[in-house]
Amino acid sequence: MDLQSVVNGLLLGGVYGCVGLGFSLVWGVTNVINLAHGAMIMLGAYVAFWAFRGLSLDPFLALPLAVVALGALGYTVQRYLVNFVVRSGVFMTLILTFGLQLMLIDAALFAFTGDYRAVTPSYSGAGVELGTVVVPYVRVAIFVVSLLLTWLLHLFMTRTRTGNAIRATALNKDAAQLVGVNIGRIYAITFALGSGMAGAAGTLLSTLYTITPVMGQPMLGKAFVIACLGGLGTMWGSLIGGLILGLAETVGAGLIGAAFQQAISFGLLVLILVVRPEGIAGKKFFAEVK
Amino acid sequence: MSRPRASSLIAALVLAVFLVLPWGLSGYWVRVLSSIFMYAALAQSINFMAGFTGYADFGNVVFFGIGAYTTTLLMTRAEIPFVVAFLAGGCVAALAASVVGVPLLRLRGHYFAIATLGVLEAVREITTNVAFFGGGMGITLPVVAEAPEPFFRLIYYAMLAAVFAYTAIAWWLTRSRFGYALRTIKSDEEAAGVIGIPATRYKVTVWAISAFCTGLVGGLYAYWLKYIEPPFVFDIMISVKAWIMMLLGGAGTLLGPIAGAFLLELLSVTIWGQFLRGHMLILGAVIMLTVLFMPAGFMDLVRQRFSLAAVVANLRRNRI
Repeated sequence: MDLQSVVNGLLLGGVYGCVGLGFSLVWGVTNVINLAHGAMIMLGAYVAFWAFRGLSLDPFLALPLAVVALGALGYTVQRYLVNFVVRSGVFMTLILTFGLQLMLIDAALFAFTGDYRAVTPSYSGAGVELGTVVVPYVRVAIFVVSLLLTWLLHLFMTRTRTGNAIRATALNKDAAQLVGVNIGRIYAITFALGSGMAGAAGTLLSTLYTITPVMGQPMLGKAFVIACLGGLGTMWGSLIGGLILGLAETVGAGLIGAAFQQAISFGLLVLILVVRPEGIAGKKFFAEVK
Repeated sequence: MSRPRASSLIAALVLAVFLVLPWGLSGYWVRVLSSIFMYAALAQSINFMAGFTGYADFGNVVFFGIGAYTTTLLMTRAEIPFVVAFLAGGCVAALAASVVGVPLLRLRGHYFAIATLGVLEAVREITTNVAFFGGGMGITLPVVAEAPEPFFRLIYYAMLAAVFAYTAIAWWLTRSRFGYALRTIKSDEEAAGVIGIPATRYKVTVWAISAFCTGLVGGLYAYWLKYIEPPFVFDIMISVKAWIMMLLGGAGTLLGPIAGAFLLELLSVTIWGQFLRGHMLILGAVIMLTVLFMPAGFMDLVRQRFSLAAVVANLRRNRI
């Protein structure tokens, strides 16, 4: 286990934290597993791509754009679609978002074609050498932005009225309703926040990976692992989960072989589910199964 | 069933029609029907777990893959005849389910669902990367001596038999002590424990039964297609399709999974055949409309006599 793979793993883990953030929030608060999360990440990456191609906008500056666009999409989806089935059982929402995912990916295939796209700002290859370790600037920037987003979301959840209402809803839906919280609206806002975070994660990933309509699918699997590892509905938990997954993947790939990366992360998932289902930073009451 | 004699008469009639059909239909429709039966059998196996016991095994296709691989490996590496190999495939799948079931079935709701997905991904990746399993290149099965037509009829009858056998198991679940225990677990697991139902043992048993049934179909599928590779037989879309069929028809009902298989598969061959692109767009829309307007499945809609008022009432009830 060398220093380089630890650094790579930690930097990768920062983005993973951002990937899992919105997913974990939505799951923890509304008990909806958003299977379209990966597709929303993909759409966020396309926002960055078209902003770069059309407006020559830097992907980091396109981030707010993606947050707003995906947030609006998420709000609409929850308000006019998911809210109509939330009471019909846990698995119905899962199937619903699966259908949504199929539609989003196919629509992207229609609109953007299956061509491989890339965002290539002037600084994409640059980095700094610290002793034996190479640290690429883009990855550091992504790591910092991920931390910032997590912190902002944490502030929103703890300092604002809406944030408190969201947390109250997560703890106890009925009690929140009793004190006057409009659950339907809170669900829609939560979903909008989660989708916005997916969009942000997409713009960050656009600088690292090739952009295609199916690029979000592996990210969906990772979001599961991250959310379960860290604990549902907690902001910092997602970051912790992301860091652990990033480390496990890069270090594990060095030890066992890169071909088993998925097996490592899913093995980790099954292990954590069996040993500590509430996650590492998870709290009681969040997304409990009743 | 209020009129057991009438319903068994209908069942016998349907069986007779399906027994005669392959002699009158073209090879294309024999193939389509075989595929419908295959999915109906898979949907029914999922129904044991999800419909009756309330445990969402999204990764059930892992047993399909295990059955397919066991059958193929036994036939190619050990030259064991198909019938034995395919039964062994079911047994290995059942064994796998009972081994992973002990830790995993402690999980509930979403957590169990995701853990099964985790198992699926891990098994698929291991199969892809270990040379003994043929790796990513897949394995070709030995060629059969029979002529194509009798061979495809054989597959047709085997799949049909699976549907009937699995529906018989579902029927048994609706009236046996074991089945009642499973439904008690579904509605309240704590209460089931209190009245003395050994929940874990029953859950593992029913998962093993479901895996056995799924594994057999996987073995048949491998024998049918003559070539398997990991992304093919461990394809999550197989699970998803079977799941949607079960929900479309009605989870926890006897005939729902079969009705769902016919609905979705016929829809796919008749409508999607017209569109070269956009299959997934339509499938996605069908899924979303199903969930929105008939969350209890098609059989429930039949029971309500397709009343619009019932659909609206459902929407109101499920809304937040």
